[in-house]
Amino acid sequence: MRLVMDEFAHLDSPIHRWEPRCKLLGLVTLMFAFAFVERGWLVPVVLAIALSLYGLSRLPLSFLRSRLRYPGYFLLGVVALLPFCSGQTVLWQLGPVVLRQEGLSAMLLIAGRFLAIVTTGFILLGTTPFLTLVAALRSLGLPPVLADMTLLTYRYLFDLAETLATMKLAMRLRGFGQVPSGDRHRGFSIPFLPRRTDLGNLSALAGTLLIRSYEQSERVYKAMRLRGYGYTPRSGAAPVAQPKTPFSTLDLASMMGLAGAVALAIALLGLGFVPVSFGVPQLTHLLSFR
Amino acid sequence: MHIPDGILPAPVCIGGYALAAPLLGYALRKINRMPDVTEQIPKASLLTAAFFIASSIHIPIPPASVHLVLNGLLGAVLGYFAVPAIAIGLFLQAVMFGHGGLTTLGVNTVLMGFPALVAAWVFRLRHRFGRLGARRADLLFAFLAGAIGLGLAALIFFGLILATIPGGLDAQAERVAVYGLVASHIPLALIEGVFTAMLVGFLRRVKPELLQDPTRSDPSALQPAGQPSKKSTGGRAA
Repeated sequence: MRLVMDEFAHLDSPIHRWEPRCKLLGLVTLMFAFAFVERGWLVPVVLAIALSLYGLSRLPLSFLRSRLRYPGYFLLGVVALLPFCSGQTVLWQLGPVVLRQEGLSAMLLIAGRFLAIVTTGFILLGTTPFLTLVAALRSLGLPPVLADMTLLTYRYLFDLAETLATMKLAMRLRGFGQVPSGDRHRGFSIPFLPRRTDLGNLSALAGTLLIRSYEQSERVYKAMRLRGYGYTPRSGAAPVAQPKTPFSTLDLASMMGLAGAVALAIALLGLGFVPVSFGVPQLTHLLSFR
Repeated sequence: MHIPDGILPAPVCIGGYALAAPLLGYALRKINRMPDVTEQIPKASLLTAAFFIASSIHIPIPPASVHLVLNGLLGAVLGYFAVPAIAIGLFLQAVMFGHGGLTTLGVNTVLMGFPALVAAWVFRLRHRFGRLGARRADLLFAFLAGAIGLGLAALIFFGLILATIPGGLDAQAERVAVYGLVASHIPLALIEGVFTAMLVGFLRRVKPELLQDPTRSDPSALQPAGQPSKKSTGGRAA
Protein backbone atom coordinates (compact mmCIF):
# COMPACT_ATOMS: atom_id res chain seq x y z
CA MET A 1 0.00 0.00 0.00
CA ARG A 2 1.48 3.29 -1.04
CA LEU A 3 0.39 6.15 1.15
CA VAL A 4 1.71 9.13 -0.73
CA MET A 5 -0.29 12.26 -1.41
CA ASP A 6 0.36 15.83 -2.41
CA GLU A 7 3.37 14.71 -4.44
CA PHE A 8 2.76 17.19 -7.22
CA ALA A 9 0.64 19.75 -5.40
CA HIS A 10 3.57 22.16 -5.32
CA LEU A 11 3.87 22.48 -9.12
CA ASP A 12 2.77 25.67 -10.80
CA SER A 13 0.10 25.63 -13.49
CA PRO A 14 -3.19 27.38 -14.21
CA ILE A 15 -5.00 24.42 -12.62
CA HIS A 16 -2.81 24.63 -9.52
CA ARG A 17 -3.57 28.33 -9.22
CA TRP A 18 -7.33 27.85 -9.69
CA GLU A 19 -9.10 28.80 -6.45
CA PRO A 20 -9.79 25.49 -4.63
CA ARG A 21 -13.55 25.91 -4.22
CA CYS A 22 -14.03 26.95 -7.85
CA LYS A 23 -11.77 24.11 -8.96
CA LEU A 24 -13.64 21.56 -6.85
CA LEU A 25 -17.04 22.65 -8.13
CA GLY A 26 -15.89 23.01 -11.73
CA LEU A 27 -14.10 19.68 -12.02
CA VAL A 28 -16.76 17.70 -10.12
CA THR A 29 -19.44 19.19 -12.38
CA LEU A 30 -17.40 18.06 -15.38
CA MET A 31 -16.97 14.56 -13.89
CA PHE A 32 -20.72 14.20 -13.54
CA ALA A 33 -21.27 15.51 -17.04
CA PHE A 34 -18.85 12.82 -18.27
CA ALA A 35 -20.82 10.22 -16.32
CA PHE A 36 -23.94 11.30 -18.23
CA VAL A 37 -22.37 10.50 -21.61
CA GLU A 38 -24.38 7.75 -23.27
CA ARG A 39 -23.50 8.26 -26.94
CA GLY A 40 -20.42 6.69 -28.40
CA TRP A 41 -19.37 9.67 -30.49
CA LEU A 42 -19.10 11.84 -27.36
CA VAL A 43 -16.47 9.54 -25.84
CA PRO A 44 -13.54 10.97 -27.88
CA VAL A 45 -14.82 14.47 -27.04
CA VAL A 46 -14.81 13.92 -23.27
CA LEU A 47 -11.47 12.13 -23.46
CA ALA A 48 -10.04 15.10 -25.34
CA ILE A 49 -11.39 17.50 -22.70
CA ALA A 50 -9.98 15.43 -19.85
CA LEU A 51 -6.59 14.99 -21.47
CA SER A 52 -6.23 18.66 -22.40
CA LEU A 53 -7.06 19.60 -18.81
CA TYR A 54 -4.42 17.11 -17.72
CA GLY A 55 -1.92 18.71 -20.07
CA LEU A 56 -2.83 22.12 -18.69
CA SER A 57 -2.20 20.91 -15.15
CA ARG A 58 1.42 19.98 -16.00
CA LEU A 59 1.19 16.82 -13.92
CA PRO A 60 3.64 14.19 -15.16
CA LEU A 61 2.17 11.31 -17.15
CA SER A 62 3.76 8.81 -14.77
CA PHE A 63 1.41 10.09 -12.05
CA LEU A 64 -1.65 9.23 -14.11
CA ARG A 65 -0.19 5.92 -15.24
CA SER A 66 0.61 4.74 -11.73
CA ARG A 67 -2.78 5.86 -10.41
CA LEU A 68 -4.69 4.23 -13.25
CA ARG A 69 -3.18 0.80 -12.81
CA TYR A 70 -5.33 -0.63 -10.04
CA PRO A 71 -8.74 0.80 -11.04
CA GLY A 72 -7.91 -0.10 -14.64
CA TYR A 73 -7.52 -3.79 -13.81
CA PHE A 74 -10.73 -3.73 -11.84
CA LEU A 75 -12.61 -2.13 -14.69
CA LEU A 76 -11.19 -4.62 -17.16
CA GLY A 77 -12.39 -7.43 -14.94
CA VAL A 78 -15.89 -6.01 -14.98
CA VAL A 79 -16.27 -5.15 -18.66
CA ALA A 80 -13.92 -7.54 -20.48
CA LEU A 81 -16.63 -10.12 -21.06
CA LEU A 82 -19.17 -7.67 -22.44
CA PRO A 83 -18.19 -7.87 -26.13
CA PHE A 84 -18.47 -11.66 -26.01
CA CYS A 85 -21.77 -12.13 -24.24
CA SER A 86 -23.85 -9.00 -24.68
CA GLY A 87 -25.81 -8.10 -27.82
CA GLN A 88 -27.31 -9.79 -30.88
CA THR A 89 -25.31 -8.42 -33.80
CA VAL A 90 -22.37 -10.70 -34.48
CA LEU A 91 -19.27 -8.89 -35.75
CA TRP A 92 -16.84 -11.76 -35.86
CA GLN A 93 -16.92 -15.38 -34.94
CA LEU A 94 -14.26 -18.01 -34.35
CA GLY A 95 -15.62 -21.29 -33.08
CA PRO A 96 -17.47 -20.63 -29.83
CA VAL A 97 -15.97 -17.14 -29.50
CA VAL A 98 -18.39 -14.53 -30.79
CA LEU A 99 -17.62 -10.83 -30.87
CA ARG A 100 -20.84 -8.85 -30.57
CA GLN A 101 -21.38 -5.27 -31.60
CA GLU A 102 -23.59 -4.03 -28.75
CA GLY A 103 -21.26 -5.44 -26.12
CA LEU A 104 -18.21 -3.95 -27.83
CA SER A 105 -19.70 -0.47 -28.06
CA ALA A 106 -20.89 -0.71 -24.43
CA MET A 107 -17.38 -1.66 -23.37
CA LEU A 108 -15.82 1.22 -25.29
CA LEU A 109 -18.36 3.61 -23.79
CA ILE A 110 -17.76 2.45 -20.22
CA ALA A 111 -13.98 2.43 -20.60
CA GLY A 112 -13.99 5.90 -22.19
CA ARG A 113 -16.23 7.39 -19.51
CA PHE A 114 -14.10 5.76 -16.84
CA LEU A 115 -10.87 7.18 -18.26
CA ALA A 116 -12.30 10.68 -18.61
CA ILE A 117 -13.81 10.77 -15.11
CA VAL A 118 -10.80 9.24 -13.37
CA THR A 119 -8.35 11.52 -15.17
CA THR A 120 -10.36 14.58 -14.14
CA GLY A 121 -10.49 13.29 -10.57
CA PHE A 122 -6.73 12.87 -10.51
CA ILE A 123 -6.29 16.40 -11.86
CA LEU A 124 -8.33 17.69 -8.92
CA LEU A 125 -6.42 15.61 -6.37
CA GLY A 126 -3.01 15.99 -7.95
CA THR A 127 -3.12 19.77 -8.03
CA THR A 128 -4.75 20.47 -4.65
CA PRO A 129 -3.09 19.72 -1.31
CA PHE A 130 -5.34 17.39 0.68
CA LEU A 131 -5.82 19.84 3.55
CA THR A 132 -6.87 22.58 1.13
CA LEU A 133 -9.34 20.19 -0.44
CA VAL A 134 -10.97 19.38 2.91
CA ALA A 135 -11.04 23.07 3.81
CA ALA A 136 -12.76 23.79 0.49
CA LEU A 137 -15.29 21.00 1.14
CA ARG A 138 -15.89 22.36 4.63
CA SER A 139 -16.58 25.84 3.34
CA LEU A 140 -18.96 24.36 0.78
CA GLY A 141 -21.07 22.86 3.57
CA LEU A 142 -19.46 19.59 4.66
CA PRO A 143 -20.70 18.90 8.24
CA PRO A 144 -18.04 19.70 10.88
CA VAL A 145 -18.07 16.17 12.30
CA LEU A 146 -17.18 14.77 8.87
CA ALA A 147 -14.47 17.37 8.27
CA ASP A 148 -12.87 16.75 11.68
CA MET A 149 -13.03 12.99 11.21
CA THR A 150 -11.56 13.19 7.71
CA LEU A 151 -8.61 15.26 8.87
CA LEU A 152 -7.91 13.12 11.93
CA THR A 153 -8.26 9.88 9.98
CA TYR A 154 -5.89 11.20 7.34
CA ARG A 155 -3.42 12.36 9.99
CA TYR A 156 -3.23 8.97 11.71
CA LEU A 157 -3.45 6.76 8.64
CA PHE A 158 0.28 6.97 8.05
CA ASP A 159 1.07 6.28 11.71
CA LEU A 160 -1.14 3.23 11.82
CA ALA A 161 0.11 1.89 8.52
CA GLU A 162 3.59 1.98 10.00
CA THR A 163 2.39 0.29 13.18
CA LEU A 164 0.77 -2.49 11.16
CA ALA A 165 3.89 -2.96 9.05
CA THR A 166 5.97 -3.30 12.23
CA MET A 167 3.55 -5.78 13.76
CA LYS A 168 3.43 -7.84 10.56
CA LEU A 169 7.21 -7.96 10.47
CA ALA A 170 7.26 -9.08 14.10
CA MET A 171 4.76 -11.83 13.26
CA ARG A 172 6.88 -13.01 10.34
CA LEU A 173 10.02 -13.00 12.45
CA ARG A 174 8.24 -15.28 14.89
CA GLY A 175 7.46 -17.66 12.06
CA PHE A 176 4.01 -16.68 10.80
CA GLY A 177 3.55 -17.73 7.20
CA GLN A 178 7.13 -18.96 6.90
CA VAL A 179 6.84 -22.70 7.42
CA PRO A 180 5.40 -24.72 4.51
CA SER A 181 1.81 -25.49 5.28
CA GLY A 182 1.96 -29.27 5.69
CA ASP A 183 4.07 -29.73 8.77
CA ARG A 184 2.94 -26.83 10.87
CA HIS A 185 -0.42 -28.03 12.07
CA ARG A 186 -1.96 -31.23 13.04
CA GLY A 187 -4.73 -31.69 10.54
CA PHE A 188 -7.04 -28.87 9.39
CA SER A 189 -5.52 -27.74 6.15
CA ILE A 190 -8.32 -28.04 3.65
CA PRO A 191 -7.98 -26.24 0.33
CA PHE A 192 -10.15 -23.11 -0.02
CA LEU A 193 -10.56 -22.87 3.74
CA PRO A 194 -8.49 -20.60 5.93
CA ARG A 195 -6.77 -22.30 8.85
CA ARG A 196 -8.25 -21.63 12.22
CA THR A 197 -4.89 -20.65 13.71
CA ASP A 198 -4.21 -18.25 10.84
CA LEU A 199 -7.58 -16.61 11.35
CA GLY A 200 -6.96 -16.43 15.09
CA ASN A 201 -3.53 -14.85 14.65
CA LEU A 202 -4.73 -12.37 12.06
CA SER A 203 -7.77 -11.40 14.10
CA ALA A 204 -5.44 -10.79 17.04
CA LEU A 205 -3.28 -8.67 14.73
CA ALA A 206 -6.25 -6.58 13.59
CA GLY A 207 -7.55 -6.41 17.16
CA THR A 208 -4.20 -5.19 18.45
CA LEU A 209 -4.19 -2.52 15.79
CA LEU A 210 -7.66 -1.38 16.88
CA ILE A 211 -6.64 -1.33 20.54
CA ARG A 212 -3.48 0.61 19.84
CA SER A 213 -5.39 3.16 17.81
CA TYR A 214 -8.04 3.41 20.53
CA GLU A 215 -5.44 4.01 23.23
CA GLN A 216 -3.68 6.52 21.04
CA SER A 217 -6.96 8.31 20.44
CA GLU A 218 -7.35 8.84 24.18
CA ARG A 219 -3.97 10.54 24.32
CA VAL A 220 -4.73 12.54 21.17
CA TYR A 221 -8.05 13.66 22.60
CA LYS A 222 -6.42 14.87 25.82
CA ALA A 223 -3.81 16.81 23.85
CA MET A 224 -6.48 18.32 21.60
CA ARG A 225 -8.62 19.19 24.59
CA LEU A 226 -5.71 21.01 26.23
CA ARG A 227 -5.33 23.09 23.09
CA GLY A 228 -8.96 24.10 23.17
CA TYR A 229 -10.66 21.52 20.97
CA GLY A 230 -14.42 21.62 21.37
CA TYR A 231 -14.58 25.10 22.89
CA THR A 232 -15.42 27.16 19.82
CA PRO A 233 -19.09 27.26 18.95
CA ARG A 234 -19.15 24.59 16.28
CA SER A 235 -21.83 26.13 14.11
CA GLY A 236 -20.20 29.57 14.02
CA ALA A 237 -16.64 28.39 13.43
CA ALA A 238 -14.94 30.08 10.52
CA PRO A 239 -14.71 27.40 7.83
CA VAL A 240 -11.63 28.52 6.01
CA ALA A 241 -9.16 30.94 7.53
CA GLN A 242 -8.33 32.98 4.49
CA PRO A 243 -7.10 36.54 4.74
CA LYS A 244 -9.47 38.99 3.15
CA THR A 245 -7.87 40.28 0.01
CA PRO A 246 -9.31 42.54 -2.61
CA PHE A 247 -10.88 40.89 -5.64
CA SER A 248 -7.94 40.03 -7.87
CA THR A 249 -7.49 38.92 -11.46
CA LEU A 250 -6.83 35.42 -10.08
CA ASP A 251 -10.29 35.39 -8.51
CA LEU A 252 -11.78 36.60 -11.74
CA ALA A 253 -9.93 33.92 -13.69
CA SER A 254 -11.10 31.30 -11.15
CA MET A 255 -14.71 32.35 -11.51
CA MET A 256 -14.38 32.33 -15.28
CA GLY A 257 -12.84 28.89 -15.12
CA LEU A 258 -15.76 27.65 -13.05
CA ALA A 259 -18.25 29.26 -15.43
CA GLY A 260 -16.41 27.66 -18.37
CA ALA A 261 -16.49 24.23 -16.76
CA VAL A 262 -20.19 24.50 -16.00
CA ALA A 263 -20.92 25.72 -19.54
CA LEU A 264 -18.95 22.80 -20.94
CA ALA A 265 -20.87 20.38 -18.72
CA ILE A 266 -24.21 21.81 -19.87
CA ALA A 267 -23.06 21.63 -23.48
CA LEU A 268 -22.12 17.96 -23.02
CA LEU A 269 -25.49 17.19 -21.44
CA GLY A 270 -27.25 18.94 -24.30
CA LEU A 271 -25.19 17.12 -26.93
CA GLY A 272 -26.20 13.85 -25.31
CA PHE A 273 -29.70 14.39 -26.67
CA VAL A 274 -28.69 15.40 -30.20
CA PRO A 275 -29.22 12.55 -32.61
CA VAL A 276 -26.13 11.95 -34.71
CA SER A 277 -26.58 12.23 -38.43
CA PHE A 278 -23.19 13.30 -39.68
CA GLY A 279 -20.00 11.46 -40.49
CA VAL A 280 -19.70 7.90 -41.66
CA PRO A 281 -23.07 6.25 -41.04
CA GLN A 282 -21.49 2.83 -40.42
CA LEU A 283 -19.12 4.22 -37.84
CA THR A 284 -21.70 6.27 -35.98
CA HIS A 285 -23.98 3.29 -35.99
CA LEU A 286 -21.23 1.21 -34.46
CA LEU A 287 -20.39 3.78 -31.85
CA SER A 288 -23.86 4.94 -30.91
CA PHE A 289 -24.92 2.99 -27.90
CA ARG A 290 -28.69 2.64 -27.47
CA MET B 1 -16.17 -4.15 -3.59
CA HIS B 2 -16.05 -0.56 -4.73
CA ILE B 3 -17.75 0.43 -7.93
CA PRO B 4 -15.35 2.50 -10.04
CA ASP B 5 -16.22 5.61 -12.03
CA GLY B 6 -17.78 5.29 -15.42
CA ILE B 7 -19.57 1.96 -14.99
CA LEU B 8 -22.84 3.14 -13.59
CA PRO B 9 -25.13 5.44 -15.55
CA ALA B 10 -25.12 8.96 -14.13
CA PRO B 11 -28.68 8.83 -12.72
CA VAL B 12 -27.62 5.88 -10.56
CA CYS B 13 -24.58 7.82 -9.30
CA ILE B 14 -26.78 10.77 -8.43
CA GLY B 15 -29.33 8.44 -6.87
CA GLY B 16 -26.48 7.01 -4.78
CA TYR B 17 -25.69 10.48 -3.45
CA ALA B 18 -29.39 11.07 -2.88
CA LEU B 19 -29.55 7.93 -0.71
CA ALA B 20 -26.18 8.48 0.96
CA ALA B 21 -27.11 11.98 2.13
CA PRO B 22 -30.07 10.90 4.31
CA LEU B 23 -28.11 7.88 5.53
CA LEU B 24 -25.24 10.13 6.62
CA GLY B 25 -27.68 12.72 7.94
CA TYR B 26 -29.42 10.10 10.05
CA ALA B 27 -26.13 8.82 11.46
CA LEU B 28 -24.85 12.36 12.11
CA ARG B 29 -28.07 13.29 13.89
CA LYS B 30 -27.69 10.28 16.17
CA ILE B 31 -24.03 11.17 16.71
CA ASN B 32 -24.75 14.80 17.53
CA ARG B 33 -27.20 13.65 20.19
CA MET B 34 -24.47 11.76 22.03
CA PRO B 35 -23.55 13.25 25.38
CA ASP B 36 -19.88 13.87 24.51
CA VAL B 37 -19.44 14.16 20.76
CA THR B 38 -16.07 15.90 20.89
CA GLU B 39 -14.65 13.03 22.89
CA GLN B 40 -15.98 10.46 20.45
CA ILE B 41 -14.65 12.12 17.30
CA PRO B 42 -10.93 11.35 17.84
CA LYS B 43 -11.80 7.79 18.87
CA ALA B 44 -13.98 7.21 15.85
CA SER B 45 -11.38 8.80 13.58
CA LEU B 46 -8.46 6.72 14.79
CA LEU B 47 -10.55 3.58 14.62
CA THR B 48 -11.57 4.56 11.09
CA ALA B 49 -7.90 4.82 10.18
CA ALA B 50 -7.22 1.49 11.89
CA PHE B 51 -10.05 -0.21 9.98
CA PHE B 52 -8.80 1.30 6.75
CA ILE B 53 -5.36 -0.16 7.42
CA ALA B 54 -6.68 -3.46 8.79
CA SER B 55 -8.69 -4.12 5.64
CA SER B 56 -5.33 -4.56 3.88
CA ILE B 57 -4.64 -7.70 5.95
CA HIS B 58 -4.88 -10.71 3.69
CA ILE B 59 -6.27 -13.98 4.95
CA PRO B 60 -4.43 -16.93 3.39
CA ILE B 61 -6.83 -19.43 1.86
CA PRO B 62 -4.50 -22.16 0.67
CA PRO B 63 -4.15 -21.52 -3.07
CA ALA B 64 -4.89 -17.78 -2.79
CA SER B 65 -5.79 -15.14 -0.25
CA VAL B 66 -8.67 -12.77 0.33
CA HIS B 67 -8.78 -9.43 2.01
CA LEU B 68 -11.55 -8.57 4.38
CA VAL B 69 -14.13 -5.86 3.99
CA LEU B 70 -14.70 -5.45 7.74
CA ASN B 71 -17.81 -3.30 7.35
CA GLY B 72 -19.76 -5.57 9.71
CA LEU B 73 -17.05 -5.26 12.34
CA LEU B 74 -16.99 -1.51 11.77
CA GLY B 75 -20.72 -1.37 12.50
CA ALA B 76 -20.32 -3.55 15.59
CA VAL B 77 -17.50 -1.47 17.08
CA LEU B 78 -18.39 2.04 15.93
CA GLY B 79 -22.20 1.97 15.91
CA TYR B 80 -23.57 5.04 14.15
CA PHE B 81 -20.05 6.33 13.58
CA ALA B 82 -19.64 3.50 11.08
CA VAL B 83 -21.52 5.44 8.37
CA PRO B 84 -19.30 8.56 8.39
CA ALA B 85 -16.30 6.26 8.89
CA ILE B 86 -17.17 4.36 5.73
CA ALA B 87 -17.86 7.53 3.75
CA ILE B 88 -14.47 8.91 4.83
CA GLY B 89 -12.67 5.62 4.22
CA LEU B 90 -14.11 5.41 0.72
CA PHE B 91 -13.29 9.04 0.01
CA LEU B 92 -9.69 8.49 1.09
CA GLN B 93 -9.43 5.31 -0.95
CA ALA B 94 -10.74 7.10 -4.02
CA VAL B 95 -8.41 10.01 -3.43
CA MET B 96 -5.28 8.05 -2.59
CA PHE B 97 -5.41 4.93 -4.71
CA GLY B 98 -8.27 5.34 -7.15
CA HIS B 99 -10.20 2.44 -5.56
CA GLY B 100 -13.82 3.30 -6.14
CA GLY B 101 -14.39 6.79 -7.45
CA LEU B 102 -15.69 10.22 -6.72
CA THR B 103 -18.83 10.05 -8.84
CA THR B 104 -19.67 6.66 -7.33
CA LEU B 105 -18.84 7.70 -3.76
CA GLY B 106 -22.53 8.03 -2.90
CA VAL B 107 -23.40 4.59 -4.28
CA ASN B 108 -20.44 2.98 -2.53
CA THR B 109 -21.28 4.69 0.76
CA VAL B 110 -24.79 3.25 0.66
CA LEU B 111 -23.48 -0.12 -0.51
CA MET B 112 -21.09 -0.46 2.44
CA GLY B 113 -22.65 1.90 4.98
CA PHE B 114 -26.18 0.56 5.06
CA PRO B 115 -25.03 -3.04 5.75
CA ALA B 116 -22.69 -1.65 8.44
CA LEU B 117 -25.63 0.09 10.07
CA VAL B 118 -27.65 -3.14 9.93
CA ALA B 119 -24.66 -4.95 11.44
CA ALA B 120 -24.54 -2.36 14.23
CA TRP B 121 -28.23 -2.99 15.01
CA VAL B 122 -27.73 -6.75 14.87
CA PHE B 123 -24.73 -6.57 17.18
CA ARG B 124 -26.72 -4.50 19.61
CA LEU B 125 -29.34 -7.23 19.83
CA ARG B 126 -26.86 -9.28 21.85
CA HIS B 127 -27.97 -7.46 24.99
CA ARG B 128 -31.39 -9.03 24.62
CA PHE B 129 -29.99 -12.52 24.55
CA GLY B 130 -28.36 -12.42 27.96
CA ARG B 131 -29.54 -15.90 28.75
CA LEU B 132 -27.12 -17.29 26.18
CA GLY B 133 -24.33 -16.02 28.40
CA ALA B 134 -22.62 -12.72 27.65
CA ARG B 135 -19.65 -14.29 25.89
CA ARG B 136 -21.64 -16.59 23.69
CA ALA B 137 -24.09 -13.83 22.81
CA ASP B 138 -21.24 -11.48 21.94
CA LEU B 139 -19.55 -14.02 19.69
CA LEU B 140 -22.75 -15.15 18.00
CA PHE B 141 -23.90 -11.65 17.23
CA ALA B 142 -20.43 -10.62 16.14
CA PHE B 143 -20.48 -13.51 13.67
CA LEU B 144 -23.90 -12.43 12.42
CA ALA B 145 -22.81 -8.80 12.15
CA GLY B 146 -19.72 -9.73 10.14
CA ALA B 147 -21.54 -12.12 7.84
CA ILE B 148 -24.49 -9.78 7.30
CA GLY B 149 -22.19 -6.80 6.70
CA LEU B 150 -20.43 -8.52 3.82
CA GLY B 151 -23.39 -10.55 2.58
CA LEU B 152 -25.72 -7.60 2.29
CA ALA B 153 -23.06 -5.46 0.62
CA ALA B 154 -22.39 -8.23 -1.91
CA LEU B 155 -26.10 -8.56 -2.66
CA ILE B 156 -26.51 -4.83 -3.27
CA PHE B 157 -23.31 -4.72 -5.31
CA PHE B 158 -24.24 -7.53 -7.70
CA GLY B 159 -27.81 -6.36 -7.90
CA LEU B 160 -26.63 -2.94 -8.99
CA ILE B 161 -24.05 -4.21 -11.46
CA LEU B 162 -26.49 -6.57 -13.13
CA ALA B 163 -29.33 -4.07 -13.15
CA THR B 164 -27.24 -1.40 -14.83
CA ILE B 165 -24.86 -3.24 -17.16
CA PRO B 166 -26.25 -2.57 -20.60
CA GLY B 167 -28.73 -5.01 -21.98
CA GLY B 168 -28.46 -7.81 -24.46
CA LEU B 169 -27.67 -10.40 -21.82
CA ASP B 170 -30.51 -12.86 -21.82
CA ALA B 171 -32.49 -13.31 -18.64
CA GLN B 172 -31.39 -16.88 -18.15
CA ALA B 173 -27.68 -16.00 -18.26
CA GLU B 174 -28.33 -13.09 -15.95
CA ARG B 175 -30.05 -15.29 -13.39
CA VAL B 176 -27.25 -17.85 -13.52
CA ALA B 177 -24.71 -15.07 -13.05
CA VAL B 178 -26.57 -13.66 -10.04
CA TYR B 179 -26.87 -17.06 -8.38
CA GLY B 180 -23.24 -17.88 -9.11
CA LEU B 181 -21.93 -14.62 -7.75
CA VAL B 182 -24.11 -14.76 -4.66
CA ALA B 183 -23.10 -18.37 -4.02
CA SER B 184 -19.42 -17.48 -4.34
CA HIS B 185 -19.86 -14.85 -1.65
CA ILE B 186 -21.45 -17.17 0.90
CA PRO B 187 -18.10 -18.67 2.00
CA LEU B 188 -16.58 -15.19 2.05
CA ALA B 189 -19.40 -13.96 4.28
CA LEU B 190 -18.82 -16.94 6.58
CA ILE B 191 -15.09 -16.21 6.77
CA GLU B 192 -15.83 -12.56 7.48
CA GLY B 193 -18.29 -13.63 10.20
CA VAL B 194 -15.81 -16.01 11.83
CA PHE B 195 -13.07 -13.38 11.67
CA THR B 196 -15.38 -10.76 13.21
CA ALA B 197 -16.38 -13.16 16.00
CA MET B 198 -12.73 -13.99 16.70
CA LEU B 199 -11.80 -10.33 16.76
CA VAL B 200 -14.67 -9.48 19.08
CA GLY B 201 -13.59 -12.37 21.30
CA PHE B 202 -10.08 -10.91 21.34
CA LEU B 203 -11.34 -7.41 22.16
CA ARG B 204 -13.54 -8.83 24.91
CA ARG B 205 -10.52 -10.34 26.59
CA VAL B 206 -8.11 -7.47 26.07
CA LYS B 207 -10.03 -4.21 25.83
CA PRO B 208 -13.72 -4.69 26.60
CA GLU B 209 -14.56 -0.98 26.64
CA LEU B 210 -14.01 -0.86 22.89
CA LEU B 211 -17.19 -2.86 22.50
CA GLN B 212 -19.29 -0.49 24.55
CA ASP B 213 -21.82 1.44 22.60
CA PRO B 214 -21.06 5.17 22.60
CA THR B 215 -24.53 6.03 21.30
CA ARG B 216 -26.16 4.87 24.50
CA SER B 217 -26.54 7.96 26.58
CA ASP B 218 -27.78 6.12 29.67
CA PRO B 219 -24.66 4.81 31.40
CA SER B 220 -26.65 2.21 33.31
CA ALA B 221 -27.59 0.65 29.99
CA LEU B 222 -23.94 0.06 29.22
CA GLN B 223 -23.00 -3.49 29.85
CA PRO B 224 -19.35 -3.93 30.74
CA ALA B 225 -18.67 -6.31 27.93
CA GLY B 226 -15.90 -8.12 29.75
CA GLN B 227 -18.20 -9.27 32.54
CA PRO B 228 -21.25 -11.47 32.44
CA SER B 229 -24.46 -9.52 32.38
CA LYS B 230 -26.42 -9.27 35.60
CA LYS B 231 -29.40 -10.94 34.03
CA SER B 232 -27.52 -13.90 32.72
CA THR B 233 -26.81 -16.76 35.01
CA GLY B 234 -24.52 -18.87 32.92
CA GLY B 235 -22.20 -16.16 31.56
CA ARG B 236 -18.65 -17.32 31.22
CA ALA B 237 -16.42 -14.31 30.92
CA ALA B 238 -13.02 -15.03 29.52
